[in-house]
Amino acid sequence: MRVLVALAVADFRERTRRLAYAVVLLAAVGLAWLAVPDPEGRWVIMNIGTYRGVYTSAYVGAVTALAGALWFLIGGFYVVRGAIPRDEQTRVGHLLATTPLSRTGYLAGKFLSNLMVLASMTAVLAVTAVVLQLLRGESRTLNPVDLVAPFVVLTFPVLAITSAAALWFDTTSRLRAGLGNIIWFFVALPAATAAQVTHAPLGGLGTSYVADSMYAAMTAQGLALDGAEFSVGLMYLDHPPTTFHWPGLEITGGMLLERMGMVLLACVLALVPAAWFGRFDPARTRYQEAAQPASSSPAGAAGPAGLPTPGGSPVLIDPGTGLALDMPQQAPSQSASFQGRPRTVPVPGWRTGRLITGELRILLKSASPWWWAGAATIAVTGLAVPVDNVPGALLAAWIWPILLWSRLGAQRVVDGVDTLLDAYPGVRPQLVAEWMAGVVLSMLTGAAPLLRFLIAQDGAGVAAWLGGALVIPSLALALGALSRGPRLFQIAYLSVWYLVVNGIAAFDYLGAVRHDGRLAGPHPLIIISLAGVLLAGALLIRTLRHVYR
Amino acid sequence: MLELLGVTKVYRGGKRAVDEVTMRLGTGLVGLLGPNGAGKSSLMRITATITRPTSGRLLFEGADVVAAPNRLRRVLGYLPQDFGVYPHLTGREFLTYLAAVKGLSASSARRRIDELLALVNLTEAAKRPLRTYSGGMLRRVGIAQALLNDPRVLIVDEPTAGLDPEERIRFRDLLSDLAGDRLVLLSTHIVSDIESVATEIAILARGRLYCHTTPEGLLESTRGWVWQAEVNVNDIAELRTRFRVSRAMRTASGVRVRLLSPTPPFPGAVPVPPDLEDAYLKVIHAPHPHAAATEGVRR
Repeated sequence: MRVLVALAVADFRERTRRLAYAVVLLAAVGLAWLAVPDPEGRWVIMNIGTYRGVYTSAYVGAVTALAGALWFLIGGFYVVRGAIPRDEQTRVGHLLATTPLSRTGYLAGKFLSNLMVLASMTAVLAVTAVVLQLLRGESRTLNPVDLVAPFVVLTFPVLAITSAAALWFDTTSRLRAGLGNIIWFFVALPAATAAQVTHAPLGGLGTSYVADSMYAAMTAQGLALDGAEFSVGLMYLDHPPTTFHWPGLEITGGMLLERMGMVLLACVLALVPAAWFGRFDPARTRYQEAAQPASSSPAGAAGPAGLPTPGGSPVLIDPGTGLALDMPQQAPSQSASFQGRPRTVPVPGWRTGRLITGELRILLKSASPWWWAGAATIAVTGLAVPVDNVPGALLAAWIWPILLWSRLGAQRVVDGVDTLLDAYPGVRPQLVAEWMAGVVLSMLTGAAPLLRFLIAQDGAGVAAWLGGALVIPSLALALGALSRGPRLFQIAYLSVWYLVVNGIAAFDYLGAVRHDGRLAGPHPLIIISLAGVLLAGALLIRTLRHVYR
Repeated sequence: MLELLGVTKVYRGGKRAVDEVTMRLGTGLVGLLGPNGAGKSSLMRITATITRPTSGRLLFEGADVVAAPNRLRRVLGYLPQDFGVYPHLTGREFLTYLAAVKGLSASSARRRIDELLALVNLTEAAKRPLRTYSGGMLRRVGIAQALLNDPRVLIVDEPTAGLDPEERIRFRDLLSDLAGDRLVLLSTHIVSDIESVATEIAILARGRLYCHTTPEGLLESTRGWVWQAEVNVNDIAELRTRFRVSRAMRTASGVRVRLLSPTPPFPGAVPVPPDLEDAYLKVIHAPHPHAAATEGVRR
């Protein structure tokens, strides 16, 4: 147990001493701010029809706890995942693998660490809730138990599930990188919806506990429900909501049993990956395929299996029997490195084409044949669907390369090539070539819908297509340069894409949402301008990094 | 060619990695020696334009490198201690990409890459993805990329890590050959890496430059300090508390020790000519000399 706690605490410290953690905590403060909005405001995050509760400790606690449960289920996963790949990358895992620490012990430590990170965010959420209750001023009576209880009963079990899920993704080779981020998005969204229905297994997110309690309070106060629906999620109301007094969540034994069952389930789920977790053994995993720093790898090219003996002479060991073989005559060295000297004097020349080709190689060479097959299928579908469905086909075409786009601006850092490139001349040409490679990828994958727009003489569609083709790589490059990793773009782009799929015109960057055949979203010129701003932003970030190196 | 004037690097949290280092470097191979954590890599990163010094100036042919690094970068070859590669590219594709980033013409880059691949013995492996390379092969790719533009300033940080013994020797010879008409700055904590090839030696400890001189000058400053004696094995621990023991080797009759002392350490000890390891130990365990005196040591 002591080892487990030490492992969890060390991991927790490592994570919390990064700038990204401070950003995440700020996000928690922002979430609380959204959950307890200005009393006169029309944005709400939890309401029953046109009603909301008076901002008492119980209500503020419940609304922030539920918002936290919802957000941490989806977004918290992205915060905590990566603990095991990080141990691989930093080689700490190799050290741990040589200790008596068992697989289950290691996973339990990581589970605990994940939980601590999310719990610390929840604590910030709770403290902010207190401040907001006082700030909003509807009730100045602080009741710590009423405020904290929803976090313990509603939020904490969800954190445990999220923490366990992150371990599943971290230990499964196919899911430990970007694909896992995408899959979680499509798993967590419907799961979050399902977890809010009445009689969700083990109480789900806990929404129904709060909803039932609030319905009962409103009924007791004689307020007209008229089919008013309880909802959690950011919403804009026509009028500021009417308030009612909610006495707070009555925590029953059955409720506690359900929530404890959820925590127990999470604990079990967290330990299941011990069945396949390779314990950093390259022979059992795909870890070896990851880029490794050159200096930390085994020295030199493989030589004969010579072992030192006390006398100093090497012996050859028969791999079958393990017995020493007669030492043959010393073979001449196969290595002939560093003989002679290059004679060609390099001269400067035009490089743009080769830079773009190089960047395209970096982007596309990691794509598997399956990826290309998928892209081809989407392209053929784009050519075959009725003309009205072409915008939908474009949506499909432009989600498929998300993992490739997400490398823009980040790949050099992820692969450790920045340590070389930072001493190279020309920040701008590199970055522009990287962007152009991203644009080529957009155009390639969106070629079939473009052809359909052209055939249909849909000028608006073509213009919107162009905006999309430019803005996606621009966004990827800007977020990649900013975060120095692919995850931020993956999450941001998925979220925007999802909003467009759901017909939210304000976010339509590719002309998929149409009213009466006309583009309902921003004008393509706005999108193209945005692409320019993002590209300039990426350039600024990269330049500043060089200036303040 | 390259001047470091009072270069200091203080990291966040107050860690002073490089402290008022002043050096003037010209053509030749300069070996930068120092124990682990001495600030060698920080100084190399500053010199390679990757890290900005907190204070001090870095000049290349009189021009300020900190404000305008591209002038140096165009003629710079840099091999860091740790670096990564794009794992899905082949060795040739990776070098072709880096040659384009360095601004080399297509035809000269192609010929140069062919020659460099042959030089680092990777011609046969050039079409394989880099993810399949061993550590030593990746290190050789790193060496090839540092030489792509035939750099006038070549900075190599612990370059022999990952090379086999035969490669180490030949790589040292190559650096010595290259240093004939350019500046090669080689950082290492292994004295034998530079003892036969360095034209100058700089010793860094605790972020400060302790000495910048020629190998001969360094040996000269240690002359009369190195003693050898046969002692009883039980006396070694006590000896280590009184003297800096540079080597101890078991013999049939006890232990042959080599130690540093300005005067005869004990009866029976005989003076022996110093080597660079002795000189290095003497320097890093001495109090830091005054900055002006440090510069003055250089011949």
